[in-house]
Amino acid sequence: MKLQKSQQFTPMIPTASMADIAFLLIIFFMVTITFEVDKTQVLLPKTVIRLEVPKKAAYVSVTEQGLIKVSDGEELSNQVNGVEDVLSFASTVVASNPSKPFVLKADSNVAYDHIDKVLDALKQAKVEVIYLLSEQQTVPVDG
Amino acid sequence: MKINRDNKISDEIPASSMADIAFLLIIYFMVTTTFTATRGLDFGLPKEDDNPPEIEKEDSVHIQVQPGGNIVVDSKPMPLDNLLTHLEGILKDNPTKPVIIQTDPQASYVHMVTVLDELRQSEDKIGMEVKNISIPTRREIESFWY
Repeated sequence: MKLQKSQQFTPMIPTASMADIAFLLIIFFMVTITFEVDKTQVLLPKTVIRLEVPKKAAYVSVTEQGLIKVSDGEELSNQVNGVEDVLSFASTVVASNPSKPFVLKADSNVAYDHIDKVLDALKQAKVEVIYLLSEQQTVPVDG
Repeated sequence: MKINRDNKISDEIPASSMADIAFLLIIYFMVTTTFTATRGLDFGLPKEDDNPPEIEKEDSVHIQVQPGGNIVVDSKPMPLDNLLTHLEGILKDNPTKPVIIQTDPQASYVHMVTVLDELRQSEDKIGMEVKNISIPTRREIESFWY
């Protein structure tokens, strides 16, 4: 009787689709990436109500120490000397686009005095809408 | 002379390094991506009006936010949880009654945001929207009321 020789399998991991998977991941990252115009590190307040901030909105960030940075939404943020500079910056931005939304990115623990002055400058510059940047507050489920 | 015919040019595109390039790009995007907060509370500012309506303190609900975060509503201290139920009674008769948030300069920003967030949740909590929320600045308060 003729014995059939056992078939030999060469061990191989199929890697043909690896590039496809990798490119899918690249597309995901390319679509989701947003280049931050303001990289100021602040501890944002938490809120339940959170609305999407429009893209290309102008940023005013206030750190816990009261340092202020501004960005028109196109270029990286720059530190300014005080609220007078915020007023002149906001006036310039509003002059070029009257409906430009502004984002206030302020630290939770900053004294309201600083925020009051910034809000006052934005109001004087005739800004129409301000977004107070926040993080998600989780609501405890009853029962 | 014998001609060597073994030198065949391969008609395949070399794709073996494609995965390496792709993974390098992935690593680049993973390192540079920062997941940032792009949401927040919106707050519309009143448009310029030559003849703004005069609002007296008595015609509005006046919420004072104190340095520790405690609130005083129309001169009465009140826990934040009771704010909307208190407003429900007032706004039932006059839904457009202005609700003014006045925050102490020494209070933290988070305290004002917490009160504003509570007011914005009125639709869900009491089924009635607080339509007219105002956050006057100190300069406005001094020039209008004093």
